[in-house]
Amino acid sequence: MSAAPAGEPGPETLVPHWLAGEHRTELATAVRAALTGRAMHPVAAIHLEDVLTELHVAAARDAVWPASAARVRRATGWGEDVLPVRLSAAERSSVLAVPGLPDALRAQLGDGTDA
Amino acid sequence: MTGTLFGGSSAGLMQRLRPTRVSVVDLRDVADAVLPTLGTPRLRLGLVQRSGAGSVLVVEEDERQVRIGLHELADDMTRAGVAPTPTGIAQALTSWVAHRPVPDAAAAAGGIAVIDWADALQTSIAWRVVVRRGDLALPWTPSRGAGPDEVHRARTAAEGRARDVSLDLRVEGPVALWSHRDVAVLATSALVDPERMRHRIAAAGLDMPDMHVVVTPHRPVACAGPGIAARLAGESSEASVTLPRQELADLAWL
Repeated sequence: MSAAPAGEPGPETLVPHWLAGEHRTELATAVRAALTGRAMHPVAAIHLEDVLTELHVAAARDAVWPASAARVRRATGWGEDVLPVRLSAAERSSVLAVPGLPDALRAQLGDGTDA
Repeated sequence: MTGTLFGGSSAGLMQRLRPTRVSVVDLRDVADAVLPTLGTPRLRLGLVQRSGAGSVLVVEEDERQVRIGLHELADDMTRAGVAPTPTGIAQALTSWVAHRPVPDAAAAAGGIAVIDWADALQTSIAWRVVVRRGDLALPWTPSRGAGPDEVHRARTAAEGRARDVSLDLRVEGPVALWSHRDVAVLATSALVDPERMRHRIAAAGLDMPDMHVVVTPHRPVACAGPGIAARLAGESSEASVTLPRQELADLAWL
């Protein structure tokens, strides 16, 4: 389930990862822990801050325009709390480098097609 | 659009796919019973019998007049899937009357400034005066007889009333969302005073020095810094307009 054109997404392309509320909470927790827990390359830190922002923006997007995600949820049978979290390749890589990222979440972010 | 005109009395998908006809006879019976209950000293509703043709429903309020043949109205109701029962037809007729045009005097007396789409393709936005009728907010288009001063006064008064509209504010991380509980288009009423929005957002704990607004008329209004506003709107396939708060006052009026 990707909005990106075929082939490798460009660096600025944001790819939707459909995450349930529980997984979004886990993602935020893991990213916050990484940002506070150890020294980190400043660029990676910026990407992780952007991931935290995106988690809020994803919820705001759904509040303003609920119809498109609702259509996908109806078509797939996903739960009501599943939202598209849109990440750039750099943001996704930064998340995957976070130590202690739950395996289920890592699998979901792996190629952007799982839910 | 006709489905909206007839309110919530539609009978669902099956009725729309295989509609049972709303008959002119039934519509006339309902109109005879319902129209007298909807009229006011200013709002006159009646059926006019044309010789050799069917009846016409006439709605007159101040300078506005709407006429529609009962046959045409019955066909519109059928297409919209209105339940062909006395209750269904009565609800649809009441909703149709509620959607009548807004007279100049009503806009002057109770108009509220909001932002609406300025074109059918939903590419640009503009200020507009709307008038509440129950849970509806009907747009006002100034009549040909309305002079520039009269129109200006109505718009200025509508801006004042927009400041009194009570909206819900939800802060979602770096994004502030404004919505109206009952009438979606009223969410944009707050935009008449973006500085006040900014102060309320600050009071909720979010500082937004360079506030941009993401406007989708009839949907909640989102406020955020420019980068976050771009991320919010740029990744949605839905129509919206993003602009810095300083540009709100420069939008045209419909």
